[in-house]
Amino acid sequence: MSDSYEITMKILRYDPSTKKRWTQQYRLQAGGILRLTDLFRKINMEQDPSLAWNSSCEHGQCGSCAVKVNGKPLLACELLVANAVKLFGINQFFIEPISVGPVVRDLIVDLEPAYGRVESLKPYIMKRKENLYGTAEYRIAPQEMESYLEATRCINCFCCATACMSGPKNFLGPNAIMASMVRVLDPREAATEQRLSVLHGPEGVRHCHTSRACSQVCPKEIDVAHYVALAKAAQTKKHRET
Amino acid sequence: MKLRLSKTISCDLLILGAGGAGLRCAAEVLEKRPGTKVVAITKVAHPQKSHTSTAQGGLAAVDPKDPVDKPVYHMFDTWKGSDCMADQNVVRKIVEAGWDEILWLENRGMHFSRDMDGRLAKRTFGGHTINFGEASAYRAVFEADRTGKGIMDTLWGEVLRGGISFIHQSMATELLFSGERCAGAMVFCQKSGEFVAIKAKAVVLAMGGCGQVFKVTTNCRQNTGDHLSLAVQAGLPVMDPEAVQFHPTGIVGPGILASETLRSVGGILRNRDLEAFMEKYAPKMRELAPRDLVARAIETEIREGKGVFNQDHSIEHVWIDLRHLPEHVHRTQIPEVASFFKKFVNVDSRKELCPIRPSNHYHMGGVPTNSDGEVLRDPQKTVPGLFAVGECACASFHGFNRLGTNSLLELITMGRFAGQKALEYLEGELPELCGDIGENTFQTFAAYLQTKGQAKVGDVREKLRALMTEKVGVFRVEGGLREAVTQIAELKAQAMEIALVTRDLAMNQELVERWELDNLLTSAMLIATGALHRKDSRGGHFREDYPQRSPDLDSHSLLYMEEFGKVKIEKKPVDMSLFNEGGPHAEKFGMIERKY
Ligand SMILES: Cc1cc2nc3c(=O)[nH]c(=O)nc-3n(C[C@H](O)[C@H](O)[C@H](O)COP(=O)(O)OP(=O)(O)OC[C@H]3O[C@@H](n4cnc5c(N)ncnc54)[C@H](O)[C@@H]3O)c2cc1C
Ligand code: FES
Repeated sequence: MSDSYEITMKILRYDPSTKKRWTQQYRLQAGGILRLTDLFRKINMEQDPSLAWNSSCEHGQCGSCAVKVNGKPLLACELLVANAVKLFGINQFFIEPISVGPVVRDLIVDLEPAYGRVESLKPYIMKRKENLYGTAEYRIAPQEMESYLEATRCINCFCCATACMSGPKNFLGPNAIMASMVRVLDPREAATEQRLSVLHGPEGVRHCHTSRACSQVCPKEIDVAHYVALAKAAQTKKHRET
Repeated sequence: MKLRLSKTISCDLLILGAGGAGLRCAAEVLEKRPGTKVVAITKVAHPQKSHTSTAQGGLAAVDPKDPVDKPVYHMFDTWKGSDCMADQNVVRKIVEAGWDEILWLENRGMHFSRDMDGRLAKRTFGGHTINFGEASAYRAVFEADRTGKGIMDTLWGEVLRGGISFIHQSMATELLFSGERCAGAMVFCQKSGEFVAIKAKAVVLAMGGCGQVFKVTTNCRQNTGDHLSLAVQAGLPVMDPEAVQFHPTGIVGPGILASETLRSVGGILRNRDLEAFMEKYAPKMRELAPRDLVARAIETEIREGKGVFNQDHSIEHVWIDLRHLPEHVHRTQIPEVASFFKKFVNVDSRKELCPIRPSNHYHMGGVPTNSDGEVLRDPQKTVPGLFAVGECACASFHGFNRLGTNSLLELITMGRFAGQKALEYLEGELPELCGDIGENTFQTFAAYLQTKGQAKVGDVREKLRALMTEKVGVFRVEGGLREAVTQIAELKAQAMEIALVTRDLAMNQELVERWELDNLLTSAMLIATGALHRKDSRGGHFREDYPQRSPDLDSHSLLYMEEFGKVKIEKKPVDMSLFNEGGPHAEKFGMIERKY
């Protein structure tokens, strides 16, 4: 069905007990339809059980397995060997953890601070708007949902935040901003002003350089930058009004 | 090596597993009793990474405003689907609560798909009918093809608002007791490598399934049946573990789910010789026969040497042929699933054959509970303070075969019921733990770290998974099951010879996998023993030597296993309250035939 590839994986490793960081090289023979997560498991089974990496669903639905491959943040469970060779034009891959939090071991990153930024923006309805229809459920026209539905597909893999030029230091990050914008656009949410004032605050959209790197790397092909831009536009509008 | 307790913390409610079921339970308590101290543990990096997030199709519930559908139809479909093994008191309670739950989720911000009028859209799903099988019911609400994610994101938001504390990437290793009462759990925090004891007034098991027991599964990596181990170690039973569901079309290799839609739009199953084999097995229904029948047909072809060997994943498969379908079907009806073939096997479904094989999908068996989610110690008695909800539990809503969209319904309704019941415990005092806290966990983990030997975690695990798929999978037969039980015991012995390379505690993935391997072995032993003991066929459990349902076995089995491989079995009657109470439709809830 597919060819066999001779692959070299150079993996950035970190041992928390010695605080040592090094690059380790593994060579493997692999079929074209194996995924990078299959290769990690193969390394564990055949060469080095100590290599630590993260995954959960292993089919692109949960965002646990994000790593940088030859500099590009992506989901390891979605990248087939044959496609990786085609994408990079080379059989050698340098793999390192994503850069949104401290590395715990090898490819495993502590996502606590990164998720903390999403959670600080309250990914829920803060204040429910009155339901004007008097029905048990809100009525929302499909066209109305269209404006934010794409953004609800985000799985918080933090590939966008990894690619972002601004880095996580004082910036909430593209996916966190997008999550808040979902609720700004959601007709059930009454606290839009409150949300926008945080997005326009010191850690908000002002850090965005409009490089669109976030949209370019999103494994879900969401136009993340569009939502950041909407947040910015709301600010401009308010500025003009006052 | 001496492992020790890093700290002891206390809370009101302790949730072990932060998937849909656990979070719905937490949300109920936080809403009804604001300020309750709730701690939730999850093995993944964040609750959003839980298995529930991968559920695609939808969530069944009967809308009271629906002019044609009725709760009694949904109850009937569930009962029939279960092959007459569901508990009817549970079926009634869950079905009747369904629509309120949908409204609860919608009001809290879930992005359900809408119809043109802005109302919740509904779609049909296999086995869901109106008028006792007359026609398909529009009963499943959904959020595009990511319903589970919608539920998870909504619940995560709600519990955050309520002030929950999460302990991520950590695992519950042992239940702790105060006399008979469950009063907490030991938790191993992977990132820090610390062991923490958590005391609580009530504890909820919500740890999901055990699909990783099989070589090919749609389940997440962390679904290793930890809950089954925790239960049997605490002397508690596991109910109907042999009730395992296999989905006919898992994408070859890992087993990623390729939806039923492929067959309903006209996909044809073909073997190595490209023969359309379903005609042989179900001349009328062919590809549209029920899940279990199609899975058995595919497995038979493979066993008869008409499968195709996939070298990359070293497993056999058959083909699903979609090449003859018109372009617009590919484009509008199956784009998502077709993209999975492109993404995971590099196959263009419009031009090439797609490789699939049966894949383990769902565990109907689990930790037994009553209709409030309280865990049972034996057929009559509950364990005070301990609840179980979701896939890890067996209140027996699904009996021996789960209908699509019924799992999500079960986990949110049972989550709520358990939460309501748990409130009763939260008003009391925090019970004191007895015994040497965490001693079992310390001994177990110290042994893992100290063992010297030649065996490897990955080797033993993969041998076990292959064995289970081959001998305790879609087809089961006395001889094979006996061999499986013996070989699982041998693998357990091999596991005792595993030496780990990584010896420190922080983020030691090898150590976690070693512990998970023991849970896989325990789960496998329970499933295989249950299957050996049940000498009949029903739902997902198929015995070639006993292909019919046996009236002597119309009861649940409770399996106790305090020592590995030594299983004691008790019976528990199936609740038949809908049948016994009489009423206009009572005869539909008798021991009916499962014919479609
Ligand atoms: C591909 C796919 C599609 C599906 N589609 C549908 C559908 O359309 N409709 C439907 O009704 N059902 C569907 N299902 C089934 C449904 O998704 C699951 O049955 C359900 O999500 C299980 O939820 P849960 O809350 O019980 O467990 P999970 O969501 O699995 O959560 C378990 C939690 O426990 C944690 N955990 C596990 N072990 C430990 C431990 N030792 N310590 C601490 N935490 C632990 C995990 O990290 C996780 O947080 C589908 C399943 C799959 C695989
Ligand atoms: S493991 Fe879930 S996205 Fe890769």
